[in-house]
Amino acid sequence: MSLTRRALVRASAATLALPAIIRSARAAAEPIRVGWLATFTGPLSSPTIGFDRGVKWAVEQVNGSGGVNGRMIEVISRDTQGDPTKAVNATQDVISRQKVHAIFGPVNSGELLATTPIMARARMPSLVAGVVNSLIDPVKYPNAFRVTPSNAQWDDAVRNYCQNIMKVKKVAITADATGYGTSAHDDSVASFKKAGLEVVYDAVIDPAQPDVTPDMLRAKNAGAEVMVSWTVSAGMAARMMNARAALNWDVPIAGHPALGTGEIGKLVDKPEYWEKVYQVGYRSCSYGPDGKLPKPNQDFVDSVKGKFPLADTSLWWIASGVDAIRLISEAVAKTGSSDSDKIIGYWNTLQMWPGLYGHYSFTPQEHNGFLGSDVVMSKANTQRDGAFDLAPGYV
Amino acid sequence: MLAAILAAGFAVGATYALIGVTYNIMFSASRVMSFTAGQLGMAGGVLGALFINRLGLPILPGFILALAGCALIGLVTEIVAVRPVLKALDQHLYVLSTLAFALMIQTFTAIEWSTEPQPFPRLLGIGEGGPLDEKFWLPVVACAATIIGLELLYRRTLVGRAFLAIAEDNFAARALGLPERNLRMASFALAGAVGGLAGFAGGELLLAFFANGATLNFFGFVPVALGGLGNNRGAVIGGLALGVFQQAANFLMGGVVAGVAVFVVFIIVLLVAPQGLFGAPAARRV
Amino acid sequence: MRALIPYALIAVAALALPLFANDYWAVIGARAAVYWVLVAGLNLVVGYGGQLAIGWVALLTLGSYTAAILVARLDLDPFLAYAAGGIVGALAGVVVGLPALRLRTFYFAMTTLGFATIVTQVALAWQSVTGGGIGLPGPAMSPPFDSAWGFYLLCLGFAAVVTWMTANVGSSRYGRSLVAIRDAEVAAEATGISKARLLTIVFLFSGFTAGVAGGLFATLQSYITPEAFSFDLSVTFFIAILVGGRGSILGPLIGTILLTLLPEVAAPLVAWSTFLYAALLLAIVLLMPGGIAALLDFRNRKPLESHRSILPQPDRVRALLDHGQVRENITLRNVVLAFGGVRAIDGLDITIRAGAVHGLIGPNGSGKTTTLNVISGYYAPQEGEAFLGTRVLPHGAPQTRSAMGIARTFQTPRVIGEASVLQNVMIGATIDGRASFVEAALTLPRHRSDEKRLTARAMDALSVVGLSSLAGVRADRLQHSELRFVEIARALVGRPAFLLLDEPAAGLSTDEIKRLGTLIKAVAEAGTGVLLVEHHADLIFDICDEVTVLNLGKELAAGTPAEIRAHKEVVSAYLGA
Repeated sequence: MSLTRRALVRASAATLALPAIIRSARAAAEPIRVGWLATFTGPLSSPTIGFDRGVKWAVEQVNGSGGVNGRMIEVISRDTQGDPTKAVNATQDVISRQKVHAIFGPVNSGELLATTPIMARARMPSLVAGVVNSLIDPVKYPNAFRVTPSNAQWDDAVRNYCQNIMKVKKVAITADATGYGTSAHDDSVASFKKAGLEVVYDAVIDPAQPDVTPDMLRAKNAGAEVMVSWTVSAGMAARMMNARAALNWDVPIAGHPALGTGEIGKLVDKPEYWEKVYQVGYRSCSYGPDGKLPKPNQDFVDSVKGKFPLADTSLWWIASGVDAIRLISEAVAKTGSSDSDKIIGYWNTLQMWPGLYGHYSFTPQEHNGFLGSDVVMSKANTQRDGAFDLAPGYV
Repeated sequence: MLAAILAAGFAVGATYALIGVTYNIMFSASRVMSFTAGQLGMAGGVLGALFINRLGLPILPGFILALAGCALIGLVTEIVAVRPVLKALDQHLYVLSTLAFALMIQTFTAIEWSTEPQPFPRLLGIGEGGPLDEKFWLPVVACAATIIGLELLYRRTLVGRAFLAIAEDNFAARALGLPERNLRMASFALAGAVGGLAGFAGGELLLAFFANGATLNFFGFVPVALGGLGNNRGAVIGGLALGVFQQAANFLMGGVVAGVAVFVVFIIVLLVAPQGLFGAPAARRV
Repeated sequence: MRALIPYALIAVAALALPLFANDYWAVIGARAAVYWVLVAGLNLVVGYGGQLAIGWVALLTLGSYTAAILVARLDLDPFLAYAAGGIVGALAGVVVGLPALRLRTFYFAMTTLGFATIVTQVALAWQSVTGGGIGLPGPAMSPPFDSAWGFYLLCLGFAAVVTWMTANVGSSRYGRSLVAIRDAEVAAEATGISKARLLTIVFLFSGFTAGVAGGLFATLQSYITPEAFSFDLSVTFFIAILVGGRGSILGPLIGTILLTLLPEVAAPLVAWSTFLYAALLLAIVLLMPGGIAALLDFRNRKPLESHRSILPQPDRVRALLDHGQVRENITLRNVVLAFGGVRAIDGLDITIRAGAVHGLIGPNGSGKTTTLNVISGYYAPQEGEAFLGTRVLPHGAPQTRSAMGIARTFQTPRVIGEASVLQNVMIGATIDGRASFVEAALTLPRHRSDEKRLTARAMDALSVVGLSSLAGVRADRLQHSELRFVEIARALVGRPAFLLLDEPAAGLSTDEIKRLGTLIKAVAEAGTGVLLVEHHADLIFDICDEVTVLNLGKELAAGTPAEIRAHKEVVSAYLGA
């Protein structure tokens, strides 16, 4: 046999491929490592409590049934405390030192803005649970997939509710003076105006301001028919509701999902002050007229009831945590590999993937995967097991 | 509109003024400005909510226990963060030790209590949320009562006169045989109670929130800086003015700009009149 | 040379890191280096100058945003953007820092806190430029600095340069002056150190390094939002310095590395990290005020010889004081100064002749020290004037006296306990240095010749007062009597035309008083006029050429020692039988 050049090339290619084969053989037994970066402690920690329950539960499910192709899922969590500097350290830690295969988190926009480019550099498959519009850019960050609505989708839900269901024309828009609030305020004012609504009053309010009566009064005098609120501060939201009552004003309040957090129930002077408050919610986590959730979610709730508390957090956070783990494990199961490119490639093919939280669809050009019509408005004071009643007017 | 601004302005202003008085009481006894002043106000709110809301005590025992708790914090401040550094007063180590102790109080509360604002109990149930609601006038009443109480204490009682003597001239007072250390501890306990009262009376407005400590610390210091160190009347005038200015700025300019405006005005006034508007010039150095 | 060993170890470890560690350590290492660039500058403000700037994160924020904005919006080269961040930081450093000249410590700490809040709020509100809450990307590096290790080495380079520069400054007359205004502000003024000038320069420098650190920080973070610049970060910088030890470069360097690493190694404790830092700060302040630097200061742990005696060498005074200045007298004419209702000096006329010893005696409260304070500029006379020759001595400006050739000592010695005896003495010759701050930071030739000259002269002064064997010892280990002589050496090293001594014999033994007397006489013979405020009558009558007796701020008697001794009123009132 003469040694042709082609054979030589083939032989050397085989030699080169050998380590890769060994690696993938070893990978079969190797656990699937998932970096889970979140705000476990500190002032912004309440969503993480929910997410983490979902993550843990889903991992138990997968590992309990033998893992993915025999591989266990190992979650490596890091507490970033909502601090972008700690988030950058933690991201590099899970990428370079822990050598994870995919990352979920961090969960605050300030952290995500900093960590997204770092994950992109490492081509690390990452599931983004943050609403800031600019986080998703399939060209710059082909590895990042949003598994929550974007800010624009939240805005759409509130605006559609105001315009098409409540049928109002004059709105007041308020936000808190934080990084999130200031940007949400600007986006929201622009989108409401673009849709032809009249923004009669808008303000960015210091969340520590002890009394918001003047702001409410000005909105009232300007003839607002609905107050739109973009704040994560339960204190500020409750103060708005108390001030609304003190002014004898029965204007509806609509906005951020935090309007439904249980903290507000404790902070309003009277329980009824929490009426006529509608917050962004999700079809998957809303009770229908029969008092039941959509089937998969009702089943989920029934199966976990008693295993961990549901009432002190939102069901969608738990659902999102479950979905994140399922998205990762399914990608590995379907492609048989935990390589970055394989996971990313698989996610790019998803069409109306039915998650507990919502439906996800991704293409290489579109990584804002959350189905817009899954975002609805809920009645803020109706939380049971982390889920809410739909706001009036939905069919 | 004006009523709403004035009501909220006087309410937070009175709270700031009380924190200013807290600074003053500690300073008079020790020549130390303590970063814990604001934390005492925070603790007043948190302990009030803890005793009344969480542990279900009636209002009055809850109030007394909250104040006692704050007095205890004041006492511990003296022992841990003030007394050990009094020898080297000119090295200003107290700035560091009280800052450290204040941070410890704040983070401890954040972790063990909550990082979210918690409800504070409704104390009397007077008013329906309007400008005459109790949450607006309770701090003002507390502030007035404190000022009158302190005046009576200082002018009418022996202990009060001893406080004044210490404030006037530490060395001379010691030379006269006054128990300087005990009086200092008593002063810090008193300061703790006054700071606690600020947080308790302002609790319905500010809620039981760990981050109130830092806010009150700064805005409680402003009236001291404006009114002159050790000058309680100056602190009250400065505090009320600050409260109204802040609320008016919030109303006229909105959150972020208003916050910046308050800081800018504070720094300018301080640079123009470092001794405060009602203060005395600095002591001799050589 | 031995002092360089720890730095070399750190440098070797830092350079070896890329050989065995992964990218994660590149990020942590770069973070430590970036923080150190800021902390090193801040160290001159806090550790050396004692100005408690707790809100220095404001300058990091400004530098970060400046660099990020210039790159993102104007497409500037990242290195130019860093420089621009440094310049903005330097200017802001002066704005944030200068209230220190007018405000008391706590007030100053509060204003820096206020600035930190303002800067973040503005970054939040000025959306069109800063991106508001959404922020903007940090400057991206081009090769070879775009990789994790490339950027790490770049940061390391910055850190090394800053370490070198601050170490140079720290050991220069600027560093000594900073420590002097921290621990002995009054004495610093008397030696001619202008606090305003000094702090302005240092705030500029410190602001510059903070601004540059900000630019690097923005690149390291890859994206900046106002949340990244938390008060916790500011506290960390501040604590790193105090844990490291004030007045040291190495200590805060180690402190910065430790505080950057600690949360990474102790991940489960992250929730309590601020609490632990605060507890650490409290423990340091209460138990170990010298910090890490004091732990590493082995030299000052050797016991000192216990039976030391101070043996001045009066014969060497002339060589030290060889100033050849014009001989002028200090004259007070009808000076009046009242505190409240008390007239401390009530129409005093006095002439202190060059090259003579003039004694000033009188009972407590007769106005002796007050007179000295008027001459040295701490008090402004309400009537009358003090003259040097024909020039009026400016009121209330003690920092001008040193340049006019007037030096002094204090009733309670005001020395810098944490500095060495030699450094304390060199403070006295601060205004004779010629090198600028930049020259000192870069150890240019003029700075080196300054140091050589001043060190030699300070050693001379120490041997004149008989303390040269203690030159390297930390001053707080000395006995009280030795401190009195250190103060005299500090006054002499500036070659004064006049030396004002405020009770120099208090607390000295009889032998020491005798030697002090000989020394003072030698000083006067070398041409320096001496004003001696003293209670020891023997000393006064032994060495004075003229004596003035004060009572209730007025001259009771004046004349030669012999005349005073014979003055009936003086004898009956003060001298006893």
